[in-house]
Amino acid sequence: MSSNIKSNDTSIWDHNRGVIRSNIGGWIIGEAVYNHGYSMMDDFVGKLSYMQVIMLNATGRIPSRKFADWVEATHICMSWPDPRIWCNQIGALGGSNRTSVLAATTAGLLANDSRQYGTKPLIAGVNFIKLAMEQYESGSTVEDVIDNECAKHAGKPYLMGYARPIAKGDARIPAMERVQEELDIEVGVHQKLGYDISERLEQKFGENMNFNGYLSAVFSDHSYTAEEVYRLYTVLVFSGVTACYVDTIQKPAETFLSLRCDDIDYQGKLPRPLPED
Amino acid sequence: MLGHSNKEEKRDEQFSEKVATKIWRETPSPENSYLTQEAHCHGYDLIALMQKRSFVDVLYLLHRGELPSKNEAELLEKLMIALINPGPRHPATRAAMNAGVGKTDTQHILPIALSIYGGEHIGAAVIEPAMRFIRKNRRKAAQEVADALLSSAKPAEEGDWHIAPGFGSRYNGIDPMPAQFAQKLLSLAGAGDALRWGDEFAQALAPNGMGWLNTGIAAAVFTDLGFSPRAGAGLFQTFAAPGLLAHAVELSGKPITAMPFPKDEDYVIEYQK
Repeated sequence: MSSNIKSNDTSIWDHNRGVIRSNIGGWIIGEAVYNHGYSMMDDFVGKLSYMQVIMLNATGRIPSRKFADWVEATHICMSWPDPRIWCNQIGALGGSNRTSVLAATTAGLLANDSRQYGTKPLIAGVNFIKLAMEQYESGSTVEDVIDNECAKHAGKPYLMGYARPIAKGDARIPAMERVQEELDIEVGVHQKLGYDISERLEQKFGENMNFNGYLSAVFSDHSYTAEEVYRLYTVLVFSGVTACYVDTIQKPAETFLSLRCDDIDYQGKLPRPLPED
Repeated sequence: MLGHSNKEEKRDEQFSEKVATKIWRETPSPENSYLTQEAHCHGYDLIALMQKRSFVDVLYLLHRGELPSKNEAELLEKLMIALINPGPRHPATRAAMNAGVGKTDTQHILPIALSIYGGEHIGAAVIEPAMRFIRKNRRKAAQEVADALLSSAKPAEEGDWHIAPGFGSRYNGIDPMPAQFAQKLLSLAGAGDALRWGDEFAQALAPNGMGWLNTGIAAAVFTDLGFSPRAGAGLFQTFAAPGLLAHAVELSGKPITAMPFPKDEDYVIEYQK
């Protein structure tokens, strides 16, 4: 049994009644808006890129300009104007139903809290490559790393950050590799290991690294945690959602992928009488 | 850099041609196949349901595929009343109030408030794990499950300890409201094994300053009623929506000064490099 019982000790809540205690900063009217010890108007505006400030707000650290530029470019890779993509389709449906652009975009963003795609799987992606690196540094081979992961999924190559639905291969990786090279961002040990895993997977299962795997490896090389990556990519897909909204808001309502009654495949019970109460 | 080709190739995945549902049938109007002439929920005509059944009955029907018995409907309705308002201090209600007093477009009030109500602390995110916890353990002795958790889990250094999803302390005490909800619900003919097991578990935790949380009550009743754990979060949100909305609307006609804006002396920047 635990002896750490603090029944009805409300001191922590009493300490915070009527007072905001901020570990990040705040607005002192007439003086400055402080952010992690900096004055935003004096130290940030015109001196840092917007992405540097976004990353500071998400992680508490200001990245180098070139790394923030790389992160900004990764957002372009996730801003497709294609409403077949699940989160984007929510934006398109919002336009079709005449919601506001904010509501539609926010709804599409929220869909990214998904086990399947978008931002949230980056947590598993970063955790995987870091675990793989631990195993590798402890003497496991790339083959062992893959086998260990496959063993968790009945032998199937379900490695977070490798393979993807709809298509095989990922055109976003060479695009970002080009940006990485132009920005002179080195290929680190996690990225190298990721490529080795990808190559072996290709040989063994015909699958390879996806965008999640690339991002997870590069962020791991720059000492970001999985939770930090998740936080700084909060709005990763928003622009594609907005684009799809803008397309449908300009067309007559409910004309996005119109559905007649018989376009739904009803498989339930046939009409039946309602029992008396 | 990547040693091999990244050339994209289509996979041969087979997607459905149509969305399938067993819940709702829309019969087209003879004049316009986009218009619905009749709607049936699990086989029952919607107009007939309007005439003869309660909202609670149809809510149950939607999720379970059959109408509830009187006892099941009573249990569900009493739970809905218990959960109808998280109260003016709950973070979700405060978010709703902020939207209200801030003159946010009113159609956004519920999405805002319910997003916050989706949290993992007394929020909708707890319901599915709580239902799975109860399902997994309800055939075991509640005292043994509590003892095992108390001996293996460690409380947080600060704040509340939720030793299992749906159970724990609130403000470092035992929350009396869910305990009262449990007693009222247990007195109903529709109360089931999950609710009874949860109450035994809460009693086993009591010497350690923990008990039922609202989330546990909801999870236990949903389990007894046979709802899917994946429906749990949304049902919990649905039931709180009326209270969240009411608090927002109450403030929406008032000036922005109707809610506190802490003074500078009450705003403490504790940032340390």
